[in-house]
Amino acid sequence: MKSSVISRLRGSVTIVVRGERLEELINELAKEGIEIWNVRSLPERKMEMNVQLGDFFSLRPLLKRTGCRMSVKRRIGAPFFLARLWRRKIFILGFAMFIAAIFALSSLVWDIEVQGNDKIPTEDVLLAAREEGIYPFQWIFRMQKPDKLSAELTRRLTGTSWVGVTRSGTRITIQVVEATRPKEHTLRSPSHLVSNADAIVTYIYAERGQPEVKKHARVKKGQVLIAGIQGNERVVAKGEIRGIVWHEYKMELPLVRKQNVYTGEKKVKGYLFFGNTAIQITGYGPTSFAQFHTVSELDPLTWRSLKLPIGWMNEKLLETTVIQLKLSPEQAKVDGIERAERDIYAKYGMESKIISQKILHEKSDNGKVYMKVLFEVEQNIAEELPIVHEQGE
Amino acid sequence: MSRLSRKIRNWAVEALDLPGDLVFDLPRLTMIGNKQLLVENHQGVLHFSPEELQLELKQGILKVEGTELAIRTIMPEEVIIEGRISGIKYEGVEE
Repeated sequence: MKSSVISRLRGSVTIVVRGERLEELINELAKEGIEIWNVRSLPERKMEMNVQLGDFFSLRPLLKRTGCRMSVKRRIGAPFFLARLWRRKIFILGFAMFIAAIFALSSLVWDIEVQGNDKIPTEDVLLAAREEGIYPFQWIFRMQKPDKLSAELTRRLTGTSWVGVTRSGTRITIQVVEATRPKEHTLRSPSHLVSNADAIVTYIYAERGQPEVKKHARVKKGQVLIAGIQGNERVVAKGEIRGIVWHEYKMELPLVRKQNVYTGEKKVKGYLFFGNTAIQITGYGPTSFAQFHTVSELDPLTWRSLKLPIGWMNEKLLETTVIQLKLSPEQAKVDGIERAERDIYAKYGMESKIISQKILHEKSDNGKVYMKVLFEVEQNIAEELPIVHEQGE
Repeated sequence: MSRLSRKIRNWAVEALDLPGDLVFDLPRLTMIGNKQLLVENHQGVLHFSPEELQLELKQGILKVEGTELAIRTIMPEEVIIEGRISGIKYEGVEE
């Protein structure tokens, strides 16, 4: 008995032999070196045995010599299986085509993903990739090596410092790292820096250009502070000039202030919403509020980070009422000055410094306070003024 | 086999401590429980039925008795018998 795997591969047959001289046959077989196994004696002078398929055809002369007859009972092993398969050619063909199709489809690029691009449009990256042979339904084996592709794309796409190409399965991921570029300076024509207000200069620093005034100088609006002419050359004057400027504010401050406040009364309405449609579920009934403010809260159903267009909406009706606040003239004054200060900071920049303030005039009349305040502010007074070509006369 | 040669062989077996199956062509039987029997140096099958198997030896016959006997493998000088073996008998052996 040989190893069953090999015997299965080579194929064997179970035969039933019939005849008078069976023992003689067995001896003959053994002598001829024909391997038989699992010899079993059956009633009526029959014998069952297994023979290798290769030895099967050399049985015939021995059977004739010993006067035995033989019939095949069972066929075992790969050759018979293959023969049976061969009879079903279409089936094999279909199976082979299925395997081939799976193989072909899995060696196509199906999906291209571009990551990390902020300024460069994805379309540009995809276009460059297409020129390098990365596009959907491209054969994966026709593409170049990722490191080569990466180098080519980096060369092709301006404004990137590195482009990485990785493939996982049928998906290509293009990772773009954009180069950070220095800010582009717009070209500017030569200009002076002039004063934007009447002021007293407290600080002057010329980075470029010729300073025309000194500290403590009194300047008028439009006066050149830093000239854009250095020697015979015209430059863009650049520098920092601060000066003290006076601002006069005239204010009218009402002593009664109206304010909307919540009363604390509220009514809640519950809605079930689907997309843009909401159906009210709770909170029916008339609202008795004369004035109210509505606050809506959406609580959509979520699945992971995905928000579904279905959910619950709460609508809160908060009753409001107008109250009148009475201010004392002092409070009104403080409020007014604060408002003016905020206005200064908004207009002249946060780096402005209020040096002093002076109430010039103050009058209380008709429930209002009339006020005139003078602020002394140290602020940036520089303003650009392009140098106009002098035209010859 | 002449008397003289047998004597010499007998002497050789005893004096040189040689195994008898090599010198006299005696069968060598290896039996595993009552399930399997390996017989070497047989001369062919004489009779085979599920109850009895007769093997021809150089001298005489070896009878293997049992039930459901089957020949697992057979080679010119070797045979492996499987089944439920109940007895082994020698017939027609000298001495």
